[in-house]
Formats: sequence, C-alpha cells, structure tokens
Amino acid sequence: MRKLDLCLSSEGSEVILATSSDEKHPPENIIDGNPETFWTTTGMFPQEFIIFFHKHVKIERLVIQSYFVRTLRIEKSTSKEPVDFEQWIEKDLIHTEGQLQNEEFVARDGYATYLRFVIISAFDHFASVHSISADGTVISDFA
Amino acid sequence: MVKLAAKCILAGDPTVGKTALAQIFRSDGAHFQKNYTLTTGVDLVVKTVPVPDTGDSVELFIFDSAGKELFSEMLDKLWESPNVLCLVYDVTSEQSFNSCAKWLEKARAQIPGSSLPGVLVGNKADLAGRRVVDSAQAQAWALGQGLEYFETSVKEMENYEAPFVCLAKQFHHLYQEKVEVFQALV
Repeated sequence: MRKLDLCLSSEGSEVILATSSDEKHPPENIIDGNPETFWTTTGMFPQEFIIFFHKHVKIERLVIQSYFVRTLRIEKSTSKEPVDFEQWIEKDLIHTEGQLQNEEFVARDGYATYLRFVIISAFDHFASVHSISADGTVISDFA
Repeated sequence: MVKLAAKCILAGDPTVGKTALAQIFRSDGAHFQKNYTLTTGVDLVVKTVPVPDTGDSVELFIFDSAGKELFSEMLDKLWESPNVLCLVYDVTSEQSFNSCAKWLEKARAQIPGSSLPGVLVGNKADLAGRRVVDSAQAQAWALGQGLEYFETSVKEMENYEAPFVCLAKQFHHLYQEKVEVFQALV
C-alpha cells in the first residue's frame, strides 16, 4: 500500500477545532505541508486542536514541529465522530533557544480517524505549531 | 484580527482596593463597593479590552485573590502561569507601598525565564490630605522595575480603566514580538 503524509490538507485532512485563532496564523497552517507557516496560541494554557483524516488510517511515524511547547499530550479516536478519544502519547519537550522543536514519535497502535493535540503547558506566554506530519497508510475510506 | 487571552493577577496588601478596582472595572464604573469585605479565596473577573489603534483585543481573566498573609499558601496555586500583573497599593499607606517589592518578586517567581508585563497602581488618590507616598517616588520605583505607573481613585471612578488598557497593550505587544520570533525560525 502507498505510504503518504496522512495529515496534509491536500490529502483530505482537516483541522476541525482549535482553541486559538489569529486570522494571520490560522490552524490550517499546521497541515499545509509548509513549516514556514504556523498556528499560534493566543494566550493561556491548555490549548488544543483536532485533526480529522476523513478516513481510517494507520499511523507509523508522527513528526511535530513547534516552538515553546513544554508538555504535549496526543489523543486519538477511531470513531466517525470526534468522540471517545483515548490517550496515546504524552511527552515533555525540550526547548532550545532559536531552534524549532522537531519531535518524532514512532507510533504503536496507530489506528485513527482523529488526532487531538493538547498543549498542556509551554515555555512562554505563547507557543507555535509549524507542522504535523504522519507517515502511514489508509486503511479504508468512509462509506 | 486576533483576540488574545491573558491571566492577570491582582496583587497587593489587604485593603488597598484590589477588589474594588476589579469590580468597578467589570461594571464600567457602575458599582463602587462601599463596605469592605475581606477576599478569602479568589474572585474572577473576565473582561475584553480592545487594544487601541488595532482591531485586536485582549480578554483579561483577572484573578482577584486575597492579600492577607494567612491565605498566601493558596496563592501559589491560584497564581500559576500568570500572563500580566496588576500590582496595587494605597497612597495613604507607606506599608502597602513597601510591600510591592515582595508582591512583585512573588509574582515573577511564578514564571522564571519569561517576562511578566505589569503595572503599578496607586489607589485612593482622592485622599489627598492623607497621602504619604509621593507620586514621583512611586513612579521612579515602578520605572526601575519595568512597570508602568498609574494613580486611581476607585471611589471617585477616576482612571480605573487605564491600568487594564495598558496591560492589554503590553500583552499584545509581547504577542507580536513572539510571532516575529516564530516567523524567523524557519
């Protein structure tokens, strides 16, 4: 089966919820495949966003590029609706001044229809997410 | 257009007028509380403040917590991750002014490594005959600490909005600075 970046909006994925939105830096920037564009949080934590694949996928590897993110929790759902999220990954990231955080997760049990990213805390008043990509395969399209 | 959200902690000795300031700000000058009630836990006042000369705004979550020493242990939890600080003293009380350094230190210790925008507010400016803290002295101290200085009379409803508008402006400025940092990363 063809492996691809499942998160890309060009592959049909969509950010269906984000708790912050600056018109100039909307959440769509996370999945546009361009790390130069980004989504910003606009004050106070936690902050979260949900990516919907519009199909059943199996994720093998997940990469998140961000800045100032401290504690990140990722939950996933295999439902057709954005419900029944279960905890998947939680990690404290490291901050290096002036350098984009480039965090890679090798996924176990990567079956999902939705991913929910919760930025629990940050190293500053604001954080940014530049890109999220998920290598994996499409299991099935929605009927 | 962006709407930011900021946790604002209101700090200062008991009876300087923290609650009165928060309440008059919330009610746009409609409500001055004449009787003193000791704040024991925390009151939350939420209000959106437009940032002058922009289409943007800041939703302030003002945590009005107890100034009494007795409740200071609770503050560590209530004051977690502040975004801006509103430090209040009473211009008729030398003690309340002297305590500001302690309050400022306690607030800044909550977010080591990040800057905490703030204002210093001298309240009860209407009590001219009883004033003991000189404006110039307070202003000089505020400047040295990187705080903007305001005098208010909550009782006379004077200047009670300015400190909060200033906090909104400072926080908005900080946001723009960070966005520039994010932009320069890639």
